[in-house]
Amino acid sequence: MPIISLRGIGKSYKIASGRERLKELVSFGKIQKSQDFWALEDVSFDVEPGTTLGILGRNGAGKSTLLSIISGIVQPTTGTVEVNGRMVALFGVGSGFNPEFTGRDNAMLNGLLLGIERDEMLERFKEIEEFADIGKFMDQPVKTYSSGMRSRLGFAVAVNVKPDVLVLDEVLAVGDAVFKQMGLQKMRELRDAGTTILFVSHSLGMVKSFCDKAILIHKGKLIASGETSETLDRYQALLSSIKAEKNVQSSDEDQQTEYMIEHEEEEDVQGTPGFSENPDLARRRFRHGTGEARIQNVEILDEQHLPVEVTDVNSRVIVRVHAQYMKDVDNSSLSIILRNKNGLDVFSTGTNSESTPIGAREEGERIVVDFAFPLPLKPGDYSVAAYISPPGKGLFLDWIDVAEVFRIDRPEKGRGVRGLVHLPTEVEVHEQDVSQDQKKSSQSA
Amino acid sequence: MYTNTAKTESQARMVLGALANFYHKRWLLRYFIHRQLMRSYQKSILGSVWIILGPFIWVSFLALVFSEMVGLRFRVVEGDETLNFGLYLYCGLLPFTAYSESLTKGATSIRSSSGLVQKVVFPLELLPFTTAVTALVDKFFGVGALMVVLWILEHRLEWTVLLLPLFILPQFLFILGLAYFMAFVGTYVPDISEIFRPIVRGSFFLTPILWPESKIPERLHFLIDLNPLAYLVGTYRDLILHGEIPGMLATLYFSLFSGALFIVSFALFVRFKSRFADLL
Repeated sequence: MPIISLRGIGKSYKIASGRERLKELVSFGKIQKSQDFWALEDVSFDVEPGTTLGILGRNGAGKSTLLSIISGIVQPTTGTVEVNGRMVALFGVGSGFNPEFTGRDNAMLNGLLLGIERDEMLERFKEIEEFADIGKFMDQPVKTYSSGMRSRLGFAVAVNVKPDVLVLDEVLAVGDAVFKQMGLQKMRELRDAGTTILFVSHSLGMVKSFCDKAILIHKGKLIASGETSETLDRYQALLSSIKAEKNVQSSDEDQQTEYMIEHEEEEDVQGTPGFSENPDLARRRFRHGTGEARIQNVEILDEQHLPVEVTDVNSRVIVRVHAQYMKDVDNSSLSIILRNKNGLDVFSTGTNSESTPIGAREEGERIVVDFAFPLPLKPGDYSVAAYISPPGKGLFLDWIDVAEVFRIDRPEKGRGVRGLVHLPTEVEVHEQDVSQDQKKSSQSA
Repeated sequence: MYTNTAKTESQARMVLGALANFYHKRWLLRYFIHRQLMRSYQKSILGSVWIILGPFIWVSFLALVFSEMVGLRFRVVEGDETLNFGLYLYCGLLPFTAYSESLTKGATSIRSSSGLVQKVVFPLELLPFTTAVTALVDKFFGVGALMVVLWILEHRLEWTVLLLPLFILPQFLFILGLAYFMAFVGTYVPDISEIFRPIVRGSFFLTPILWPESKIPERLHFLIDLNPLAYLVGTYRDLILHGEIPGMLATLYFSLFSGALFIVSFALFVRFKSRFADLL
């Protein structure tokens, strides 16, 4: 049974001046002065439980209207939506906050607003506090918060109450790189736990990597629905046809796509202030593991062994992990994962897979492990996760999700890396004799 | 688990659903009433102390202005020469301000919370209710302040004050009805606050708050007989100042009127609340 089912959903808004509305009101609807504008028309689709559905469309296509109808905020003009589960919808983070109240009070109020029972909120408070990770600010008025702290708190409430359906409208657009990474990580956890997620984002990369299904809305109509890659293709085709209509530059689809992705990344880079902020790892509570070992520090260094935050494509970096064993451990492997800004695991390696076993370690012993490698990767923000695990047991001595972040800058010249990664490639052009070729084809015909 | 559909439910179902929300969302309601009460004092140093202190200063000021000390005893209470006119005035102002606040704040209760209307699934029927409760709770502290000053200055307290909660019940329905009606109309027609501002001021002068009932000519007596505010002002004065029990017939009429006002306004509000999100 689908968890969300839409049948013939339409929404019309009346475009009417106040005076016209007054006339209609006084006449009890007998005079119809206003004109109807259909923000959505005859939209029907089903969402199966556990789906991550991306919703694509240009500004004003009707995405937000659709989400408000699905979440029950706005009544549709035609059709019916059925939702078989608890829904939590987030339209912009922290909008319901009262600046004079403490974070704790606001978290409670926010939870109540999202339709969560008070008892349940009290139960979940610890998790919320841990995820928001704002320390003693929790008991300070929200007016003293930075905007990043506000988003963290709002997001923490919404994702920690175990919704069946989570509706997110451009929620991760605010916040710094660390918040984005942690938010995505949490969303991935929810997805893996079977939560259905409806997701609006203008970041196509994020939709591409995160969603398994996508729908495309254009001028209020559903024009594509299916696998993410197919819908994305339709979307890009749509965008380029619009561009072509406007006669702006070329209508070449290939170039079009690239322009768009470039543009999107520019926005992202601008939208990540406070990138250099790197919270102390010891304070980071968003980690798990048995605690038999602790990762104390993770650094990103350049070839001169100086810390770097921004590096270039293809330059070599060293990821240096400082770890300490809290108990005697027979055998363990220290591993790192490189994730891109969409949370996709781009590269992962470890001491065991590189055939450099750590061996048995005693309590209190410290190790520093360097992983050195070049970065033939697409420019953008990356995060490093680090973990220590005993071989083959599927458990962790310590795991830190977003231990460190860095950025690969777009090169000033050249095209950089166009896919996720540039694999070492050898190119050879085999010249063919044209006349021979023609002969061959005529013979075979 | 829910259904959001274009079809409108039956009126009875809507009203029952709205009433059920008051129970299901009681914690939210509590937070909202608290927030509304504290709103004007949040930024002050003394904070919630002002809820008690505010009416005290106001009633003391009025008492002082009309006292023998200042010598401005230009007004005396008819039939009770010893009573300070300031206290008499304040007592009449209490039900009047409850009425005017629920009218003016009720009209903007939905519009001023557009974030709630458009961003979350919010039981809108809580908003006018919050307005009405806040208006009344505020007056509760006013009655307290009045009684303390009354006791200090005049050394009198009437036992009939204890009956006040009984009479506040129909008053609450009256205020609630006004708040819901104004919220409904104010959401459709934002101009309503402007229209009602002179009406509220006018009703102050048409109600015997400043002038005694006996001054009104016989042919205009309907202004008092048909004026629910006149009933409320009279009731407050009877119970707090005069130690009399208000007329039972008038109370019955007022209660019936308030009940009807509330039922009609609430039904109207609930019927149209699903459209509010489109209007803001």
